[in-house]
Amino acid sequence: MSKFYMAYSMLVAGGLAVSSLTGWSPFKPYEKVDGVPKSVRNNPGAYRSHYAGHARYFGGK
Amino acid sequence: MNPAAPRKGFVSKPKALNCPNCGSAIELRALGAAAGVICSYCSSTIDATNPQLQIIGTWKAAMTIEPAIPLGSRGKLKGVLWEAIGFQQRGIEVEGTNYFWREYVLWNPYQGFRYLSEYDNHWNFVTPLQVLPAPSMSGLVYANESYRSFQTARAYTWFVIGEFPWMVQVGEAVDTADYVKPPKMLSSETTENEVAWSQGEYIPGTEIWQAFQLKTPCPPPIGVYSNQPSPYVGRVRSSWLFYGAMCALLLCLMVLFATLAPNKMVLDKNYVVNPATTVEKSFVSDLFTLDGRNDNVEVRITADISNQWVYFSMALINEETGQAYDFGREVSFYSGSDSDGSWTEGGKTDDVLLPNIPGGKYYLRIEPETDPARAGGLKPRIPFRVRIVRGRPFYFRYFLGMFLLLIPPIWTSIRAGSFESKRWSESDPSGASSSNASSEDDE
Amino acid sequence: MSTRNDICSNCGAEIRFRWSGAVQTTCEYCKSILVRNDINLALVGKAADLPIDISPIQIGTEGIFNDKPFQVIGRIVYRYDLGTWNEWHLYFSDGSNGWLSDAQSEYAVSFANSFTDAPPAEADLHRGLTMAQHSVPLYLTVITDAMYETTEGELPFTSYDKEMCRFADFRTNDGRFGTVDYSETPPLLFLGQFVAFDSLKLKNLKEFEGWPNA
Repeated sequence: MSKFYMAYSMLVAGGLAVSSLTGWSPFKPYEKVDGVPKSVRNNPGAYRSHYAGHARYFGGK
Repeated sequence: MNPAAPRKGFVSKPKALNCPNCGSAIELRALGAAAGVICSYCSSTIDATNPQLQIIGTWKAAMTIEPAIPLGSRGKLKGVLWEAIGFQQRGIEVEGTNYFWREYVLWNPYQGFRYLSEYDNHWNFVTPLQVLPAPSMSGLVYANESYRSFQTARAYTWFVIGEFPWMVQVGEAVDTADYVKPPKMLSSETTENEVAWSQGEYIPGTEIWQAFQLKTPCPPPIGVYSNQPSPYVGRVRSSWLFYGAMCALLLCLMVLFATLAPNKMVLDKNYVVNPATTVEKSFVSDLFTLDGRNDNVEVRITADISNQWVYFSMALINEETGQAYDFGREVSFYSGSDSDGSWTEGGKTDDVLLPNIPGGKYYLRIEPETDPARAGGLKPRIPFRVRIVRGRPFYFRYFLGMFLLLIPPIWTSIRAGSFESKRWSESDPSGASSSNASSEDDE
Repeated sequence: MSTRNDICSNCGAEIRFRWSGAVQTTCEYCKSILVRNDINLALVGKAADLPIDISPIQIGTEGIFNDKPFQVIGRIVYRYDLGTWNEWHLYFSDGSNGWLSDAQSEYAVSFANSFTDAPPAEADLHRGLTMAQHSVPLYLTVITDAMYETTEGELPFTSYDKEMCRFADFRTNDGRFGTVDYSETPPLLFLGQFVAFDSLKLKNLKEFEGWPNA
């Protein structure tokens, strides 16, 4: 049980604590878009989502 | 004229001895304690217990070896000063190959005789044993310790020089058996007339070199020796104990942060999707506040659907900074029954965790989309519920952390296991003898 | 300690006995073996010269065994096919006596005992034989044929007429040992234990040229 294991463990534990505080995750299920004008609240249609319009596969047996 | 107080004896060095065969001078380092003396010039073995210095035999050695510890060297081991007075090379034969090891006779006038044995630069400090070890299932028991059987072999003496407590001969053969409990070893040597036991303790070559102050470089040991102590023994145990402690720590952190997590519901609203509408489908939620500097946001949608899908293209938009987080989620649910029974696929609820969202005033823009080709059984309008929670606790990553922390103790255990495999690879397989040891007959 | 003083009938040197039970002693000066009777010391022979004597123990050495102090007052040197060994005669402070065997600096202390089970016959001795005496299981390890080489100091019996005799050495799993001495009929039993040199806390040992003292 070496200093290396100790340091590695502290790194893991520290990383878990920090990410729990900041809500960080390596997965980013969103795309960030800057500079959305305040007018979108009144006119939602003016905003073009990157995720609009998707074709999908029909499930079911 | 009368003997007064008890006299104090003084043993002086014996006068120079002359070899009865070749006449050369022989030095008696053990001051006469040794029974067998080899003349280094003509290789005669002399019975030193006999005042006539009887010659036991002469021999032509197939090899001459220079002892690593020169005879006459003195060194302090185990708190006692020893002098190396004799040296021999012995060997066993395994499948046609000879394996040699070397032994030194050490002497101290008060403590008597000890031995140093060396093989592949592994050293053992050997003490003769008067106690008989007791047999056990896997080997022997001695002084409350269990020794595992390691090897039996017939050992031959190939080369001798110096002085010995017995009259050693080249070509002498004994049946040996070794039992180990690292760093200790028990060995027996059986001849016609008796069984002699000894206990060895592993000692690193560097300690020998330091004790005898040898000037030559100390060669490194090769491989793993039968009773060489494993450098991993303590480490395996302590690394697993540490792992256990770390798991406990991670669980505590997980529970702590789960308790501290805000888990605050900031929006819980019902909306409706109208697939038939021709006007703009997208809409925005009311404003809500996300607390804290940085945290995650969970968006959960529950739609009352049956055998269809609904796709929600969404954006979480910071009203003040204009920063948007664009994402899309689908809710789909199918059910029916066939020859196997009833089935379902998918679910009516979907949730997504958006990480690393700064605090501030936000609203959610939602643009729902339904399957245009779907016919029959569709509800014209689909109610759905949106719930947004600020600050959900993380769970899975803690178990991932415990998995990652397994790597070092597993690695250490593997290396310790590999060390032991190397040790036992040199032993007799399942107790079989490695050479032809003749069976002992008890008359 | 006895206060009886005697004169060596050979050289006239004063003989002082340390032990009242001594049956024979050796004059330190002329090496005559003297047997004690009620009247005087009878000269019965001459002790052979000691062989190259490298035992650190000598007559007058003192030590402790099982918390009882002892003094070395006599010695028998036996010769066998591989050399010699010493049996030192010990006199304890409580008046008892025992033996310290000294073979190549392996030491064992033993005491004369009576047999609780019949001893094996001399002709039946073979390696692997076991016997039990005083509830101690004993395993035969060595059979030795030996003869007196010489004697020194005070002994509890006379040795001048002893010749070749057979000894059977037994060992145990816990460091004890036993010896059956077939030099007499019926044979004699000695039971004891192996001891480490340091545990005897010996004093008044010999000094060795070129070696620091123990």
